[in-house]
Amino acid sequence: MNARTALRIAVAFLSVTLAVVAVTTLDSCGTGRDHRVRLTIWHQDRIDIRVILQRQLDRFMQLHPEVRVEQLFKETEELRSGFIIAALAGQGPEIVYGPADQVGPFEIMKIILPLEEVFPKDWLAQFDPRGLTWYKGHLYQVADKLGNHLTLVYNKKLVPVPPRTDEELIRIGKTLTADLNGDGKTDRYGLTWNYTEPFFFIPFMTGFGGWIMDDAGNPTLNSRGTVDGLKFIKRLRDEEKIIPNEADYNVADILFKDGNAGMIVNGDWSWAGYQKAGLDIGVAPLPLITSTGLWCAPMVSPKGFSLNANISEEKKAWALELIRFLMSAENQMESARELYTMPTHMQVQQSDFVQQNDILRNSRIQIDRGRSLPVVPELRAIWDAMRPSYQAVLAGTMTPERAAEEMQLLALRRIKEMNE
Amino acid sequence: MQSQTLRHRIYLFILVAPAFVVLFGVVIYPFFYNIVLSLSNMNLRHIRDWRIIGFGQYIKVFTEPSQPDFYVVFLKTVIWTVVNLFFHVVLGVFLALVLNQKEIRGKAIFRAILVLPWAVPQLIVALTWRGMFNYEYGSINLMLTQWFNIPGVQWLRHPLEAFIAVIITNVWLGFPFMMVIALGALQSIPHDLYEASDIDGASWYHKLRHITLPLIRPVMVPAITLGTIWTFNNLNIVWLVSNAGEPSDQTHLLVSFVYKAAFNFYRYGYGAALSMVIFFILLVFSLTFMRKSKATQNVYS
Repeated sequence: MNARTALRIAVAFLSVTLAVVAVTTLDSCGTGRDHRVRLTIWHQDRIDIRVILQRQLDRFMQLHPEVRVEQLFKETEELRSGFIIAALAGQGPEIVYGPADQVGPFEIMKIILPLEEVFPKDWLAQFDPRGLTWYKGHLYQVADKLGNHLTLVYNKKLVPVPPRTDEELIRIGKTLTADLNGDGKTDRYGLTWNYTEPFFFIPFMTGFGGWIMDDAGNPTLNSRGTVDGLKFIKRLRDEEKIIPNEADYNVADILFKDGNAGMIVNGDWSWAGYQKAGLDIGVAPLPLITSTGLWCAPMVSPKGFSLNANISEEKKAWALELIRFLMSAENQMESARELYTMPTHMQVQQSDFVQQNDILRNSRIQIDRGRSLPVVPELRAIWDAMRPSYQAVLAGTMTPERAAEEMQLLALRRIKEMNE
Repeated sequence: MQSQTLRHRIYLFILVAPAFVVLFGVVIYPFFYNIVLSLSNMNLRHIRDWRIIGFGQYIKVFTEPSQPDFYVVFLKTVIWTVVNLFFHVVLGVFLALVLNQKEIRGKAIFRAILVLPWAVPQLIVALTWRGMFNYEYGSINLMLTQWFNIPGVQWLRHPLEAFIAVIITNVWLGFPFMMVIALGALQSIPHDLYEASDIDGASWYHKLRHITLPLIRPVMVPAITLGTIWTFNNLNIVWLVSNAGEPSDQTHLLVSFVYKAAFNFYRYGYGAALSMVIFFILLVFSLTFMRKSKATQNVYS
C-alpha cells in the first residue's frame, strides 16, 4: 500500500467519523427523519408502573400524533445526579418525575421551573393540596400519586386480625414466632422489615414523639423520641424476639413472601407485588404506641412531575398538555385500580373504588396519620447522619442515648459541609 | 524532499486526528476540568456562581474531620487493594499453571467454569454474595454451622467481618482476569526452553523460577498495574455488598468517599480534589511499580 492509498483510507475514515458525529448530533437535536415534537420523561418507577405509564403515553400519542413521548427509567440516585448534570449543561429531559424531596436541591440549582403560573388555579384545585409541592413560595411539582409511605402489611393466613397497638403487635408476634421443625432455630418470625435504612425507623421515632427536623430545617435527632424508638426496636429483637436478627430489604421481603414472617413494615410500592406472588395480604395502619398515645407515623411524599428549566417554549406547551393528561382522573384511576397507589385527584379519591377498597382505605388512614417528607436538601444530611448510629445500635456497639447524640452532631456537621 | 516530509506529517496527523478528538472529549477535557473544579468552591449553594479558591479543598481533604476518618479510609483502601491483588495473582497464576498442563483433559470446560465469575454482572455477584453473608439465612453460615460445626459469623453487622466479606467477594470476582492473562502468557512461552531444561535436569521448581515466571512477567506486570488501579477504584462491590458502607460507614474506600461527597452531598469541589488525590496516589504507584519491576525490559535479551 503506497502513501497515496493510505492517505485516501485515512481521509475516508475521518469522513465516516465526522458523518457519524453529525448524524448523532442532528438526531439528538430532533432534526432527524422523525419530525414529531419529542418529549422525554425521566422517572425511577418500577416495572409495573412503567407498563401502565407506557400505556398512557401511547394513548396520548394517539390523541396527538405530532408528539412523540419517551419514558426513561433511571435508578433514584442516577436520576437525581444525571438530571442535575444534564440540566446544568442546558440539556436533559423535558419532564422529570419522582418523589418530592428532589425539589429542594433542584430549586436551589434553578434547574426546574415554577408551575403556579403555567397551570390554571381551577385546574390545580382539583387535586389534594398534599400533592402540590410548594417550595420558597413557588409550586415546583404536581403529583399524580400520594404516599410512598410505610404501612403494616400482613399475611391474612397467619394474621386474621392485624394489631392496633404495640402491645397487640408484640402479642401476635410472639404467637407467630416459632421453631417449626424443632432444630432449635426460629423458622418463622412475627414481624420483619429493612433494618438498614433509617427511613424504616421513622415510624418508631414518631411513635415515641420524635421527628427529624424543626420548621427551620435544623435537625432534632437527639430527642427522647429517637432514644425510645431505638430502644423499642431493640426490645422487639432482643427481648421479645419477634423480629429476625438481621434483615435488609431483600431478606425481609423474601421472608414475608415465603410465609416466614407474618407481618412486614413496607411501602405502598410493595403491595401489588405481594398479591402477584400469590399472598393474601392485608394492609393496616402502623400501630399505636400505648405509652405515648401516639400513632407510628411514616413519612408521606407525593410523586410527581417537574419541568426542566431548559425546556423550549414549543415543547413546554406540549409538556404541560402531557402532564395534564397523565394527571387526569381516568389515568389516576387506572393506576389506583392496578397498583393501589393513592391518587391526588379529589374526584378519584372520593370514588367508590378508593373509598371501599380495603387496601386503599387503610392506606388513606396511614397517609392522614403520616408526616410530610421535608423537601429541603438538608434531608440528605439527616439520612446520612442517622444511618451509622442506627446500624451501630442494632449491632449492639452503641447505646440508643449515645446514638441519638451522634446522629445530631453528624447531621449538624454534614449540613454545614453542604452549605459552606 | 521537503514536500514529501510535509505530506507524510499531514498523513500522520489525519490518521491520529479522529482518535485525538475522541480522547480529548472523553479524557483530556474532563481531566483538566476536574483539576479546575478541585480548585473551586463548587457545591450545592455555588453551583452556578462558583469561583476558584485555590487549594482549600485539598487542605480540607487532609485536615477536615470526617466520619470515618480520611486516613483510616486510605489505610483500608490500601489493605483492600493489596489483599485482593495478592489473591487475584496467586490464585490466577496457580490455576493458569494447572490448566496449562498437557495431562489435563477437558481444559476448555474448566476454563469456562473458572471464567464464570468474571462473566456474571457485578451487580448480580454483589447482591448474591450479600445474601450469602446473611447471618441466619445465608449459605456461608449454613455451611459453617452444618458442615464444620462452627458458629455462624455476623458478617454484615461488624466492621472487620464486613470488610472480610467484601474482600472475599472481590477475590472470587477478580481471579479469573489474572488467570486468563497468565494462561495467555504461559501458552506463548516456547516449549523448546522447557525441553532444553529437561535435558539439563532442571526440577519443576527451577523451571518455574527461571523460565516460567520471568517469561510471564512482561504480561503480568501491566495486568497487575491495571488490576491495582481497578481494585483501588472499585466502587461497585464494596458499595453493593456492604449496602453503601454498612455497618456504620465502616466499609468505605476512598472512591466511595468521592461518590458520597459529590453525589450525595453535592460537594463537587471537594469531590474533585479527593479524586485528584486518588489519581496522584495511583500515578505514583504505577510509575514506581513499572520501574522497579522492569516491566519494559526485554526478557529475551
